[in-house]
Amino acid sequence: MISIFSSILQRFCGVLLTATVAVAGLSCLAQPAPTPQTAGNSATAPTAPPRAPERPSPRFVVVLDAAHGGDDNGGQLGASVAEKTVTLDLSVRLRSLLTARGMQVITTREGNVSLTNDARVQIANHAGSGAGAAACLSLHASQTGSGVHIFVSSLAPAPPSRFLAWKTAQAPFVTRSLRLASVVNSAFERGGDTGETTAGPIAVNLARTSLPTVDSMTCPAVALEIAPIRGEDRKVVTEVTDPQYQTQVVQALAAAMMAWRTEAESDAQPRKAGQP
Amino acid sequence: MIPRYQKILFLVLLVVSIAMGAILVRLRERAHDRLLKGEDLAPTTAPVVAPSEQATLLVANDMDESLVPEERSLPLPKDAGARARALLERLLEIYASPDAMHPVPGAPRAVEQVFLLPVPNGPAGKSEAKGQLAVVNLAAAFADGHPSGIEAETLTVESICGTLHANLPQITQVRFLVDGQPRATLAGHADLSRTYLTTEAVSPRPSSVSGAKP
Repeated sequence: MISIFSSILQRFCGVLLTATVAVAGLSCLAQPAPTPQTAGNSATAPTAPPRAPERPSPRFVVVLDAAHGGDDNGGQLGASVAEKTVTLDLSVRLRSLLTARGMQVITTREGNVSLTNDARVQIANHAGSGAGAAACLSLHASQTGSGVHIFVSSLAPAPPSRFLAWKTAQAPFVTRSLRLASVVNSAFERGGDTGETTAGPIAVNLARTSLPTVDSMTCPAVALEIAPIRGEDRKVVTEVTDPQYQTQVVQALAAAMMAWRTEAESDAQPRKAGQP
Repeated sequence: MIPRYQKILFLVLLVVSIAMGAILVRLRERAHDRLLKGEDLAPTTAPVVAPSEQATLLVANDMDESLVPEERSLPLPKDAGARARALLERLLEIYASPDAMHPVPGAPRAVEQVFLLPVPNGPAGKSEAKGQLAVVNLAAAFADGHPSGIEAETLTVESICGTLHANLPQITQVRFLVDGQPRATLAGHADLSRTYLTTEAVSPRPSSVSGAKP
């Protein structure tokens, strides 16, 4: 009699235990997936303050847009060189220099391919995964004028908003674009002094213009047009295709991006300190 | 059997239809002739009989990316549209000269027409815009032969806008067409699909920074 009773009791306990485990398992499944922060704190005393998650510092993203390409040759530089070739050369060389300095570089094209203006802008505007690119450089070359021409969008500055019109998306970034142009200008004045080599200053002209690509970019953006160096008599002294000149230009731009990164970090520092 | 009155009605309607068709064809021919006649009468050059007047041309300089105001004495028609066209023709002639500081190859009838229209009102709630909108119709030969480059194209566009505003201050906005059609860019860079404000062209440009040659 007693043995029968104990066996029933054992079975009852076994069923109860199984039911308890099942309910516990279901309740665990119903809870949201724990973040690393909450999972780390679950084993510690409940009084311990929760630690803020260690976020990796956002990478400094630079977008390089080598203008033209494919069927679109751009301007003709000299007898046989097309603008698209020079812009691609500059983009590839600058990408190497910036990558070596720890920056993330996104290029709109790596070869002789056709790209619409909208496609270029989409690449630039998707760079930086939400935070946006730190700088967007549209690279051009021309046979007219002298030295380097730096252009900022001629759109009037506008306050930032959630939704931006495609053709005027640059408007909230114009103030920062002007600041970026100033930093690039300073770098050309110094001649790309990176601490290793100094090549000498390059004549620079600053202006504003309306370019379909730059006007739609949602990042601090400048268009750079590399022109030959001309003497007092307007005769060409150094061609755009001159490798030494191109090296000097990309070194100056690399130095400008270093200065821009330093400025961006110093801007972010007070904001970080002000956070609770 | 078709009644007689229906036959007569049918014939009358047929004759009337043929007559109306003939009149329509004739009217179309006359309208076409009138349009062609109007085009022929459009001044291709500023009329010599018009008295010479002082005009200010904003001439571009590639070396320092500046727009230099130059006073020129040239015969100008009374009509504002024709006047604007004569001014722009003269400006582009300067660019086509061999010693130009902003060289642009010339083209016959580089500026085909300049239409002056009231500035369209903005969206509802915005203040009413004032002044005139100049629609400059450039010849495709001029646009196709224009040197490609941001600086070169921007200077051409700004000098056109600035020259129009300097001589016809009522022009506050400028739009461009090429052979009567909208065009994305002048020669691959400067945006021709937007409306330019003439105040942008006459505002002082940022100073240039000079450096030594490498």
